[in-house]
Amino acid sequence: MTPIVEVRKATKEYRGVPVVKDVSFTLRRGEVHALLGENGAGKSTLTKMISGVVQPTSGEIWIDGERAELKSPSEALRRGIAMVYQETSLIPSLTVAQNIYLMDAKRLHRLRGLYIAGQQFLQSLNFHVDPTAMVSGLGAGQKQMVEIARAVHHNAKVIVFDEPTATLTPEEKHQFFSLVARLKQRGVSIIFISHALEEALVIADRITVLRDGEHVVTDDAATFDREKIVRAMVGRNLTGELYGSSRKRKVRPAGEKVLSVQNLSMGNVLRNTSFSVFAGQITSIFGLIGSGRTEAAKVIAGVLKRDLFHGGQVRLFGRPVRYRVPRPAVRDGIIYVTEDRKVEGFFETMSIAENIYLGALAGGRTKSATVSMSEMRTIAKEWIAALDVKPGSADARVIELSGGNQQKVVVAKALVQKPRLIIFDEPTRGVDVGAIAEIHHLINRLADEGIAVLVISSYLPEILQLSDRILVCRQGRIVEEFDGHQADEETIMYAAVH
Amino acid sequence: MIGGLAGVIDNLFGRGEAAVTVPPLDGALRPNRKLDEATSRSVLDGVDCLAIRGSTLLASAGAALFALAANGEWLLHRRFDAGVAGLSPVGGDGLAIALENGEIVIEGGLFDGRRYRTGGGGICITALAGTGANLYVAIGSATNTVRGWQRDLLERNATGSVWRIDLGSGSTTPVIENLAWPAGLVFDGDNLVCSEAWKHRLVRIDPARPNLRQVPYADLPGYPGRIAQAADGYWLALFAPRSQLVEFVLREPAYRKRMMAEVPEPYWVAPKLRSGRSFYESLQGGGVKHLGMVKPWAPTMSAGLCVKLDRAFQPRFSLQSRADGRTHGVTGVAEYDGRLYVAARGDGVIVSLPLANVPTGEGVRA
Repeated sequence: MTPIVEVRKATKEYRGVPVVKDVSFTLRRGEVHALLGENGAGKSTLTKMISGVVQPTSGEIWIDGERAELKSPSEALRRGIAMVYQETSLIPSLTVAQNIYLMDAKRLHRLRGLYIAGQQFLQSLNFHVDPTAMVSGLGAGQKQMVEIARAVHHNAKVIVFDEPTATLTPEEKHQFFSLVARLKQRGVSIIFISHALEEALVIADRITVLRDGEHVVTDDAATFDREKIVRAMVGRNLTGELYGSSRKRKVRPAGEKVLSVQNLSMGNVLRNTSFSVFAGQITSIFGLIGSGRTEAAKVIAGVLKRDLFHGGQVRLFGRPVRYRVPRPAVRDGIIYVTEDRKVEGFFETMSIAENIYLGALAGGRTKSATVSMSEMRTIAKEWIAALDVKPGSADARVIELSGGNQQKVVVAKALVQKPRLIIFDEPTRGVDVGAIAEIHHLINRLADEGIAVLVISSYLPEILQLSDRILVCRQGRIVEEFDGHQADEETIMYAAVH
Repeated sequence: MIGGLAGVIDNLFGRGEAAVTVPPLDGALRPNRKLDEATSRSVLDGVDCLAIRGSTLLASAGAALFALAANGEWLLHRRFDAGVAGLSPVGGDGLAIALENGEIVIEGGLFDGRRYRTGGGGICITALAGTGANLYVAIGSATNTVRGWQRDLLERNATGSVWRIDLGSGSTTPVIENLAWPAGLVFDGDNLVCSEAWKHRLVRIDPARPNLRQVPYADLPGYPGRIAQAADGYWLALFAPRSQLVEFVLREPAYRKRMMAEVPEPYWVAPKLRSGRSFYESLQGGGVKHLGMVKPWAPTMSAGLCVKLDRAFQPRFSLQSRADGRTHGVTGVAEYDGRLYVAARGDGVIVSLPLANVPTGEGVRA
């Protein structure tokens, strides 16, 4: 049978640098095809070529047995190819139905008719979303449904999902998987990009692995297991470095008490939260989304300002501190590495060097009183080498980097400020397995150097792998503490939900 | 000017230094039940101090001194005409015994039978530390007796002092004054480390230059008491936990004054060696009980807590008895004959556990 999409020896170069090299790829009708690889492996570029966002430098794309030259996403959509992005492209100030029928715009719209049609259409897909609801009020899972509905409305025969489950809760993920199954039943072919390897193993029929822009392997999903995928992705076996290591490792003894959070309260978000962080140790906070972990970290670092009447105290090296903005916290050595790097972590259109230098400026770590281009270059080179940021050019814009390298820039921006306490909020979210190992190694190194490290994560294997102490946060307070070497996933999860 | 204004505003909103908070029991002080789980428990009503003289472990309880026999029983060793307030080995094989009337009696060793008093008429001896011919004496308060420790806290006094007694000549010299209830003394090389209970900290003092103080451990979650030498560090007894309610009361002078004048002492809002025995106490009902059982995590005026410190006086781990426990009010700790002995005055027991079973504070991650 003719594949619905076929990519033949496609190459894509940016400024002469090949991002996708000579890759061939086929998508069969009605299959779910997982596209896996580290950040920067070329997955997104390949799918962007298929959906008309970018054009290949060389090579061919065939759709339904015909050669296609896709100049724009709308042209790809006309050919039945739709892309659902990680950050949804819906307009938040319009209703669900208005978003679905956006491209069918007429001069006069009868909203009632639009809602009736929307209702019928969503019901036919078995999507429980109110067509009259504003998109801004929807959860991540429901937004994903609307995106899919819009794609199906345009008679998409191929839907490309880029990291669809990254922002979904476990329940929403479950809904999403049943959605994919229903789309498959309707004969829709799906390309699924994800860093969650277990998810790919569950829902994919076939798996393709890319590495450094090159095709590594394509095979039936049944022939893969987690380790085989990881080996193909990074070109080496990471089992010993990543989660589930059986190596015995000493838990670091606590050094000086760097941070003492005492009875911190803020409305219903933080309720009498108390905990300490010690030098030379990795203290982790695990909790479900909404448990108040991030808010506590943001209050400590001055990112979130509390109102006048909110109680509690934060002590840094025994001294009470209360930051209304991050700047004095940074000067005192408290650095918060955000969970949302794209919004809060860097200036995406600025270069790596400029971003890192901004960190140095904010922390008052520059030698020169004015902006010094030579100092900027020196600092950038030093950190690019130290953290192995790729590409190694300090002039590259951060938007052009892969997620893992973007995260390294964010970390470099933090470390250049010479922290005494560093708070990592979801340090490996949206980062590939190779970069995860590097970031974990870096976090361990910081603790070994005597810096107090606080890690916030929703991913239990990461918590267990990194932590010397594990704190469990539930409903705005710390409810349990475990030693890093004694806890197991079940016990921690039990503490987090009961 | 701005600092002063900020202080006034902080006072108004209860934040900054005016925030009513207590440090968390976490890290090395993570809650556990190790004291309650000790299988060896000896009832000794009013037990207070522990000390080793030669090869004998001694415990004071009221006006009596008991010695641990080979069969594990506590046998009466000697009785005094006043309560015993402190014990310390001194001068060869001697033992210094401080009494609640302010007298210090030496038993055995080079100065056997001699009696001393500190200068200034101090009758509130809380701890002793002997070295050669010198005995250092901690006086908790210049205005209250040892039994009046809650009053001294509620009056927010800082009238304590440490004295040196030359056992040979009998001369007494003040080493340092204006401490907030010094309740424990131990030698750290040539220096003296003193627990300053009402300031929740340990203070290192060089007796030759007492004005140069260091604080090796501050912001403790309880009131530190006696300190004992361990094989590889020290043991610190915290005789009562801090609580937000007490911290709040400590900021309300008018309330405290009226409470001390009108409410019987056992029912004051103050830390205790043992609480939860009367329904007249301030913490009651759902705050401390669930289905009729005391919640282990309930706010409490008393608890059992002793902390293992390393040689730098940093906490490594702790042994505890929680709100619902039965080993409250720890006032003395001693390592003896491969076991750790903990005196809990609140519950009138001495618990012991093999040192081999005591956690080390370090772990291996599997």
